[in-house]
Amino acid sequence: MTPAFPLGLWDISLVLAVTAIVLLVTSEILSPYYGAANLRINKKRLKNAAMTTSILFLTTVAIRIAATIYGIS
Amino acid sequence: MKISMNFSRSIGIALFILGMTALLAATVYSTPIPALIGLGLVFWGVIITYIQPDEYVKKTILDSTSTTLLETLDETLKTLDYKGKATYLPPKYLNDPESIKAYIPKQETNTLPLPEAMQKLEMQPASKDAEGILITPPGAQLARLLEKEIGTSLLRISLNDLQQRLPQTLIEDMEIVTDCEIRQTDDKIDGRSQENAQSNRNVISAKFTTTAFKDTCKRATQLSTIFSNVGCPLSSVLAIAFAKATGKPTQILNEKISEDGLTSETKYIIIEEPYI
Repeated sequence: MTPAFPLGLWDISLVLAVTAIVLLVTSEILSPYYGAANLRINKKRLKNAAMTTSILFLTTVAIRIAATIYGIS
Repeated sequence: MKISMNFSRSIGIALFILGMTALLAATVYSTPIPALIGLGLVFWGVIITYIQPDEYVKKTILDSTSTTLLETLDETLKTLDYKGKATYLPPKYLNDPESIKAYIPKQETNTLPLPEAMQKLEMQPASKDAEGILITPPGAQLARLLEKEIGTSLLRISLNDLQQRLPQTLIEDMEIVTDCEIRQTDDKIDGRSQENAQSNRNVISAKFTTTAFKDTCKRATQLSTIFSNVGCPLSSVLAIAFAKATGKPTQILNEKISEDGLTSETKYIIIEEPYI
């Protein structure tokens, strides 16, 4: 049996989507504008992580769209 | 705090190693469940390692150190008998454009010296003949931090740009105010000549709510040479920002601080040099 990674692009895309939503919502809730500003974590880094995960998710979507347009399965 | 940071880093690294092991096992045995678990563990491992706790100090420590410095400055100015209004200087008045200074004249009636005279004064700050003194204002270091957070020197941004970027930087990045409003006003300037009244359009009003500098600003109201003159650290940082962004001398026109020290409303005047 040849070792192969069992998850496809769609599975990774789903994981990225869920984590991006979790991080984006958390970073918004922790924004000083909403009052929950007492959590002692680096909010700038949390926001960066949320943005990075969102961009990764959108990249997987773009890859999928490109694959559909050019007929690559 | 060091223990807490090391602990979270250890947890993060442990989760990352566990996740990588699960991903490796999933690849070897081609099973999706360990792969999903592995992805989750790797994700949280990276997140916990990357997002470290911020370093905080107790607010009481901040208050006790900053109020002492304000009191010292107040006592020094009273002892040396400098009675004039503090003017925050733009870089053209200084030898080093990155330095931050405020000029306090000996008498209230004294005018602001020309840039060349000010540069000479900067070279001899303790000169007995000088009609004024150059001080490093209370918000100097905070202004440098503001520049770091904005990501550029305050000299390179316009006043309008500054008006838009300051509230977000002060609230979200620096977290020193919880509410901030900056606008140019049409208010009349009391006790000024008709000539100076023409520069009404150069009055900027800043209203902010702060919990970080609440006690420091409250204490500043009791210091006669600081209040409505040099200003509390927050008023001072805005005066520095306006002086640098406009390239013109800036004064704190008046300062209103609520009884609890939470809310502060400060008016600044950007001085048009021909009217000095």
